[in-house]
Amino acid sequence: MIKKFLAILTASIMLAGLGLVAAGCGGAQGSSNGKTQEQKIEFPTKPIEMTVLFAPGSGADLLARKVAELAGKELGQPITVVNRTGAGGAVGYSYVKEQKPDGYSIVWNSNSINTAYHAGNMNFNYTAFSGVAELTTEPVSIAVKADAPWKDINEFIEYAKKNPGKVRIGNSGNGSFTHLVAVALENKTGAKFTHVPFGQGGLAISSVLGGQIEASSQLPAEIMSQVKAGQVRILAITGEERLKILPDVPTFKEKGIPLTLSLWRGIAVPAGTPESVIKKLEEAFKKVAENPEFKKFAEDMGANIEFRGAKEFDQFIAEQDKELAALMEQVGMKKQ
Amino acid sequence: MSVLSALEIALTPYNLLACFVGVLVGTLTGVLPGLGPAAAMALLLPLTVKLGPTAGLIMLAGIYYGAMYGGSTTSILVNVPGEPASVVTCLEGYKLAQKGRAGAALAVSALGSFVAGTIGIVLLQLFAPPLAKAALAFGPAEFFALTVVGVIVLSNLSGKGGIKAFLMIALGLLLSTVGLDPLGGVNRFTFNQPLAGTGLSFIAIAAGLFGVGEILWLASQPEEKIEPVAKVRLRDLYPTKEEIKRALPSMFRGTLLGFLIGLIPGPSATIASFASYSLEKSTSKHKEEFGNGAIEGVAGPESANNAASVGAMIPLLSLGIPFSPAIAVLLSGMLLVGVTPGPLFLREHPDAFWGVIGSMYIGNIMLLILNLPLVGIWASITRIPYKYLMPVVLLFCIVGAYADNNNIFDVWVMLAAGVAGYLMRKYEYDPAPLLIGLVMGPIMERSLRQALIMGRGDLAIFVASPISLAMYAMALALVVFMLVKKPRVMSAD
Repeated sequence: MIKKFLAILTASIMLAGLGLVAAGCGGAQGSSNGKTQEQKIEFPTKPIEMTVLFAPGSGADLLARKVAELAGKELGQPITVVNRTGAGGAVGYSYVKEQKPDGYSIVWNSNSINTAYHAGNMNFNYTAFSGVAELTTEPVSIAVKADAPWKDINEFIEYAKKNPGKVRIGNSGNGSFTHLVAVALENKTGAKFTHVPFGQGGLAISSVLGGQIEASSQLPAEIMSQVKAGQVRILAITGEERLKILPDVPTFKEKGIPLTLSLWRGIAVPAGTPESVIKKLEEAFKKVAENPEFKKFAEDMGANIEFRGAKEFDQFIAEQDKELAALMEQVGMKKQ
Repeated sequence: MSVLSALEIALTPYNLLACFVGVLVGTLTGVLPGLGPAAAMALLLPLTVKLGPTAGLIMLAGIYYGAMYGGSTTSILVNVPGEPASVVTCLEGYKLAQKGRAGAALAVSALGSFVAGTIGIVLLQLFAPPLAKAALAFGPAEFFALTVVGVIVLSNLSGKGGIKAFLMIALGLLLSTVGLDPLGGVNRFTFNQPLAGTGLSFIAIAAGLFGVGEILWLASQPEEKIEPVAKVRLRDLYPTKEEIKRALPSMFRGTLLGFLIGLIPGPSATIASFASYSLEKSTSKHKEEFGNGAIEGVAGPESANNAASVGAMIPLLSLGIPFSPAIAVLLSGMLLVGVTPGPLFLREHPDAFWGVIGSMYIGNIMLLILNLPLVGIWASITRIPYKYLMPVVLLFCIVGAYADNNNIFDVWVMLAAGVAGYLMRKYEYDPAPLLIGLVMGPIMERSLRQALIMGRGDLAIFVASPISLAMYAMALALVVFMLVKKPRVMSAD
């Protein structure tokens, strides 16, 4: 009898456990209180959770953790970083969008908000979020093997024009930002490449080293070791000016190619978050952008500081959305 | 510099402590399902910076290879793999535990890890530059050829052959296409569920098929029918001479195989453990024991995954290219402390380089000392009656599935896989080939599509290099061999 009783007991505990898990995932979404908080609010009074859309240790993650650490000090409450990866950022965006718009759930935002939507991976776009602050931009670099015949980007483009499709250029995935930059380069110069998607993880550069492809498109930080070791040469980078860690590498602009498209990163919150909370967060992240420790860190990571406040950030994202949508349309990746 | 001076750097009290913290965290990471080395290393990155380059990297590396030790613990005790690379250890390890040999399985797995870890470093020191160069000769076309051979070799993992195993591998390959296209961009088969964009998590499916499947199976049996676990006596905790004698050759084979497979980008440690299991099974003199608890089936794979984790460091150290997510975090750690991985590492930071190498010898000894006494404690878990143990295991599986990616979708996948695991057991389908399909699928698909794009439609790219040709010749030979030797293979059992 006792045995049977225990069996029933354990079974019900198991069921209760399952119920809790189910309730936990359903309950988090409901109840956003519609009251407008006009008066000065107490924020934050508990830790804030920052969702990072890419894997631990990725470029996005490292910058995010530094930002979280420094902003937490400014706000007087710790910011915990949680990685919610998948679907080019859509998994993380979907999660944060469903959270209460109270400022305690923030997302480390980037161009992925544009690309993930247009690729059809989520059914909401950037307007589901309010920008808080843009913090950094990272240029994209076009790299070739050290012993490649092209002295500079112009010679490279010249060759690609004469041999349409013969130059194979690796990127981090179809419709990814590095792919779109390479496509934009075709648009601006009239060259024609064969684009080879490699997904995340630095494998494009190993195929450049192995001689299976001619060039690759990636964030400069990802190939710093090969560049420093003299195995790989960066022909040019996007962006308005040269990077401090790559003083000898010209920008496309310097070389007469008007290509400046860079990867921006910043903070966003679910739409509907009270203005006063956004203001408070914006101030804290502004201080992070001005912090010398962060400046040094970003520099080492191959990123530029580019601060935009909440209002300008929203505008900027809207502009970027148009530009990227057009590029994705062109490569047949625009699904909505 | 020599091994001695490397040890000298690693043996300073400060570095020794860093090494200990690393391997301790690594062991825990391995034991807890869902929490992988990549996540644990990322969590400790800030501490790495504070420790300074040498000690910081010693600690990070400790977590990385330490995780391969703990992974087998839950596989053996409760049929729930702690790491993807320990999935195959469930097959024989859990059976051994049911026979009352949990202690032996745990001890052999710790010993195998030690042997592989130590030999792995020696191989790393001797052959890193030429092996890195060889790895570069593999482009997408060559990787595709390699996966073709891999799928053929591993399809016969259960040894039962038969149409059922092929079906399972095909199902695994199909399931691997769920979620974001591996070449980026678009979600597939997610039915507009944004959270499904992560795809079907390997660890969630493995925990479901093995762990939850086993729980449901036990629950479906009449209580009298469940065989009580053999009582573990103290002197049964450690392997017998006979067991060691059988396990040793497996460890060496697993080490060599695993080390080479470590050079493949992607989840190489997982693939290495599957390959080693398959090798052990086909070379064993005790074939009849496989499936019922063969010690070789623990010794080989557990050595192979450790050796693979060391082998996977070669592309990082020699080229500065990360071939797996965990290695990518190690690379991040290097960049954070101002060390450039790749060919310049040794020249610019000889202290950090040799410190890490030296610490890996010491760390493996620490891990052995740390893990062997734990064997007794872990093994006593098998004495807990199922009705108390299993609810805890279920909770463990749920937490593990969620922790893998902080995604509730993975928990549902895990529970569904649990039901599937039960049904597969009932109707005698082997879940292991499904997992092989799941792990090989993305690599196979990615390399196939890349090669097609690179060849610009010309199929000649697949046979353009002697490496690919050799692989396909091997695949063909294997198929012919299987057809001749086991005519049964194409018919249902």
